[in-house]
Amino acid sequence: MVGEPDRQFSFRGRPRSARKGETLLSVLSRDRIPLLHRSIQYHRPQGPLCGIGHCTGCLVRVNGRPNVRACRYEPTSGDSVTTENAWPSPSWDLLGAIGLLMPGGVDSLHGLRRPAVATRLYQRLVRRLAGTGEPPTDAVSRALSAPAVERSPEVVVIGAGEAGRSVAAALAARGITPVVVERGLHPPTTDGAELLGATTAVFLPPPAETGERRFTLLAFREPAQGVRIDARSVVVATGGYDASLLFGGNDRPGVLTADAALALAAPSRPPPFHEAVVVGGGRRAAEVLSSCGDAVTAVVAPGEIRPEVVRAASDRGILLYPRSLLLRAGGRKHVRSVRLRARGGGSETTIACDAIVLAHRRVPHAQLFFQSGAAMEWRPGVGAYAPTVSANGATSVPGLFASGSVAGISPSEFAHHAETVADAVVRGVGPTGSAPSPTPDVAATELVGYYRELLRVPGHGRWVACPCVDVLVAEVERAVRSGYRGIEVVKRYTSLGSGICQGRYCLPDALLLLSILEDRPPAEVGYITQRPPVVPIPLAALASLPNPPALEVHP
Amino acid sequence: MTFARDSYRTVVVGAGIVGLFTAYHLARAGGGPILVVDRGFLSSGASGRNGGGVRQQWETRGTVRLARESVQAYRRFGLEFGFNIWFRQSGYLFLAENEGELARLRNVHALVASEGLPSKVLDGDGIAQLIEGIAPGAAVGGTYLESDGLLYPFPALWGVYEAVRSLGVEVALGVEAHGVEVRDGKVAGLLTSKGPVATSTVVNAAGGWSGDLSRRSGLEVPNVATRHEILATEALKPFLDPMVVRVSDGLYFSQSMRGEVIGGLTLPHRPGTSRGQGSSPAFLTTMARALVGLVPRLGSVGVLRAWSGFYDDTPDGFPVIGEDPRLPGFVHGNGFGGHGFMLAPATSRRIALAALGQPTDLDPAQFSPRRFLAPTPVATVERLQLG
Ligand SMILES: Cc1cc2nc3c(=O)[nH]c(=O)nc-3n(C[C@H](O)[C@H](O)[C@H](O)COP(=O)(O)OP(=O)(O)OC[C@H]3O[C@@H](n4cnc5c(N)ncnc54)[C@H](O)[C@@H]3O)c2cc1C
Repeated sequence: MVGEPDRQFSFRGRPRSARKGETLLSVLSRDRIPLLHRSIQYHRPQGPLCGIGHCTGCLVRVNGRPNVRACRYEPTSGDSVTTENAWPSPSWDLLGAIGLLMPGGVDSLHGLRRPAVATRLYQRLVRRLAGTGEPPTDAVSRALSAPAVERSPEVVVIGAGEAGRSVAAALAARGITPVVVERGLHPPTTDGAELLGATTAVFLPPPAETGERRFTLLAFREPAQGVRIDARSVVVATGGYDASLLFGGNDRPGVLTADAALALAAPSRPPPFHEAVVVGGGRRAAEVLSSCGDAVTAVVAPGEIRPEVVRAASDRGILLYPRSLLLRAGGRKHVRSVRLRARGGGSETTIACDAIVLAHRRVPHAQLFFQSGAAMEWRPGVGAYAPTVSANGATSVPGLFASGSVAGISPSEFAHHAETVADAVVRGVGPTGSAPSPTPDVAATELVGYYRELLRVPGHGRWVACPCVDVLVAEVERAVRSGYRGIEVVKRYTSLGSGICQGRYCLPDALLLLSILEDRPPAEVGYITQRPPVVPIPLAALASLPNPPALEVHP
Repeated sequence: MTFARDSYRTVVVGAGIVGLFTAYHLARAGGGPILVVDRGFLSSGASGRNGGGVRQQWETRGTVRLARESVQAYRRFGLEFGFNIWFRQSGYLFLAENEGELARLRNVHALVASEGLPSKVLDGDGIAQLIEGIAPGAAVGGTYLESDGLLYPFPALWGVYEAVRSLGVEVALGVEAHGVEVRDGKVAGLLTSKGPVATSTVVNAAGGWSGDLSRRSGLEVPNVATRHEILATEALKPFLDPMVVRVSDGLYFSQSMRGEVIGGLTLPHRPGTSRGQGSSPAFLTTMARALVGLVPRLGSVGVLRAWSGFYDDTPDGFPVIGEDPRLPGFVHGNGFGGHGFMLAPATSRRIALAALGQPTDLDPAQFSPRRFLAPTPVATVERLQLG
């Protein structure tokens, strides 16, 4: 790697350079979190929120291919990168006037419904404004097609984080060579296993109903290579992700999750902010402080701040705001400040900052379990559904196991749990014993009370409940007032959760919101149907795959 | 909570687009009190899972007429119901890959044109102008009718739901119908998960589950539920106006108002409702291959989500509308295959008439439940069950 020349590419016509292994987002975030994207309806400035390939905030066009996530793309020499859905540029987007002219939002359900002569023209305009990227050209799409990857191991392990690697190693020690699928672009190798990096598992239907009852897993390797794995057992160790939070300006450039902050600060780069406010008072906040604490000015928590965070903060002179409501981010195109109010109707404070890092709540990456038909249960500690898992990692689906934090295991137990899971996989045993109790996260259970207070803040109706589709909190409230009940129907009434992240960032909050608005526990507000694929998979990748023999479905 | 009353004049099973529209017409005709029950949430059936296509190109005159009347109803929908359903009349384009298929489409064209609808026969070039980026030689020709189009199903459901509620119809969600109660050979009530309700008329608008309900009410019917899968891609700027349907494999796709490409094709799933409304790898790969083969530029576009729903198929491709001659008071409003949304406004008016015991203008040989009881097989068949 010594002497590897920098990669020269262009961004909006200007020359830029990237080092090997650097993502486009990290190149563009050298000075600060960039404004790359405008929201789909109101053209509000949006920043990269998640940093892990889910949100709308870093979508760009690369060599004529639309909707490329800058956080998942490593530039190569000669690339031409442009922005989408903004004119003339994301920083100065004339269509931003839509948002300014209609601060209460566009009512697409009831508005403009007369069959006037102008309808056709009007519909053309709406279609023009909707959508993110221009369609790709033939050449771009043809260039992407690659032969499919097919494997038929005994066991496939999904996720090569600490937990997944431990399971792979434990299996190897028992004479099994698993295939390990990992989404990260440069995962560390795992001895005794075949590693497929930059590969995202997107669809795990229930196992075949006949014969050996094998699983068929669909995945794709960046940028668009189809992957199909047939296995007897599947161990899912997909971990979790940092959730979003409702407040004014919660998708403005500069608001990012801890996942994004940690990805952009790693491995030895300064973080893309200088005076950040970290939200959260638990383990995740402590992790953010330990990796980029020098660039943090304050820690704000919905609830209490744990001693380990207090200690890390006091070493660096970081201010602490426990039990605080985060009201809104200041700054028009970039976060410049944050407005807080002490819980229970206390005084308000404004803190100057250039980033807001959300580290208050981690939610399990549980989509594959939903797809496979595994029994799921409500975890009050995190405020989300996760698979029902017994002590040996077995789920209700024979042959499907969970390990790591998606199974509610805490990091200190990963290695031990991996051994138990590997034993169960080898012996093909089903559920045994009682489930491990998931690590409770105090801040998450408190969020219902937190949101109850937040819904009394004047002006909260204009906050964005779903950044991908631009759904405002007022629209959710209106749906409930009009007699629609339950997450499934409110989702369809408002379009919340139907955008590019498929509800990953809005639905965990929407469940809590609805629980307050409908006055019943979050678990009763409903079960969110998680439809395949886990992340958008290019049609070319699917088209390259051979047809599986059976027409198995996920429930 | 049970029901507001002990007895109703009519109970409709199914709060999909057909059940709700039927309740609407019943209420407007003064046919109350009316109860609608549905075991799921609003939009949980096929009405919340479909492609939103509305077409008038059919192989039989009866269907063309019902579809044409429905198009007019959907044009007025915004004013009548106060919801914008984004009805966009940007055409349906049927594709033929060979001369045999094209000959069939020419017949469709002749029939549709004879009903006064300006359908057109296109050659390969004409088609290439309507589908930007179609693979060369992918179609030899086809038919196109611009007044066909697309709508957004959800606001249509909300609109009719709110309308029936304001007309005093009771809609009970989360209530399952187990079958009818029969007394003196007639319908006397409906048995539900929340207990029995008395009524002399039950409308079976249970969509893909209508066959189950009929059978649980002691009536053998030929309705068959078949799972049909569908997917949506990431949203793109507009590049495609019409709904495209390919004759050979039933591939259909369109671009929604929001920019997603939405479409599906027909796979030989095992019939029945027991295996759920999910997706299969076979569908994703087959559909991707069909779509990319026809429009290669879509290869780098991501599939955002996939789902499925049930068609309620009948042997002759016509819906079943009218009172069951074997059980007075049991009224069918089902068997819509994959096209119940586009036919709902016109057919529901007739289902309501039948529930009120009034005659309809429908040809009994094509629409009445009686046709399946005749010893000789049905004569006319609506075969254009595509898209
Ligand atoms: C993938 C797909 C694509 C389609 N595309 C189109 C299209 O482009 N254009 C078009 O016009 N049509 C399309 N259709 C067909 C269309 O969606 C249906 O024909 C139409 O929605 C049927 O409406 P419905 O009200 O009869 O049934 P549904 O909407 O299915 O409603 C039936 C309701 O009955 C309830 N129910 C069933 N059994 C019971 C019971 N025992 N007790 C209580 N409740 C019960 C169910 O919960 C359900 O809500 C498509 C269908 C699918 C699946």
